[in-house]
Amino acid sequence: MLVMKRRAGEIFTIGENIEIEVLEVSGLRVKLGIKAPDSVMIVRKEARITREENITAAQPVAPDALAALAQSFWHPAKTPP
Amino acid sequence: MPGIHTTYFGELEYTEGTVFHFPYGLPGFEHERAFLFLKQPHTDPLLFLQSLGDPKLCFILVPILVVDENYKVNVDAEDLAALHLPPDRQPRIGEDILCAAIVSTAEGEAPTANLMAPIIVNLKEQIGLQAIQADSPYSHRHRITPRKELAPC
Repeated sequence: MLVMKRRAGEIFTIGENIEIEVLEVSGLRVKLGIKAPDSVMIVRKEARITREENITAAQPVAPDALAALAQSFWHPAKTPP
Repeated sequence: MPGIHTTYFGELEYTEGTVFHFPYGLPGFEHERAFLFLKQPHTDPLLFLQSLGDPKLCFILVPILVVDENYKVNVDAEDLAALHLPPDRQPRIGEDILCAAIVSTAEGEAPTANLMAPIIVNLKEQIGLQAIQADSPYSHRHRITPRKELAPC
């Protein structure tokens, strides 16, 4: 991973078309301004993870798997001896 | 009465009063704005979040307190406003809101629940969204482990 230090007001670029400016640093938070072409999707990482999880979760589940999933909440797992 | 052909429920009729509105859709499904919450007796405690725009789209949810009875909900100010909830306090699960996690059952893997980004619904106004928490202590792939008692959603 490339690591660099920047102060508020300073900018770095990625490739030819992407510019990222550090707008404000306060406490634990950093406010960034991003200039990029419309074709570049910019999302928070947690939103991207959730998007991927949702796409997996949207796949249909077979009825028996569904019943087994529901049952798992009613019947506690046996504790090993 | 409008009807749709669904994956889990076959032909389904519904009334407008039972529709929940998701103003932002869900990540990955941003255009789906209208859903029904459904249950089946034999799959209790699971909830089904059935899309009306795409009848083939249905998420399987589990009330979050069923997965983790000590779950602490953390909805940011923007989401509280979108849900028409008071801005000055966190909503109470089972009173102000329904809070449930989307279950993912990827083939060959144990089912997991996304506790990092729960589905939050204002029950009175029937508005919902998926609240993504930036610095959540919870996992987006929380392994579902069986437990004895059921908690309210």
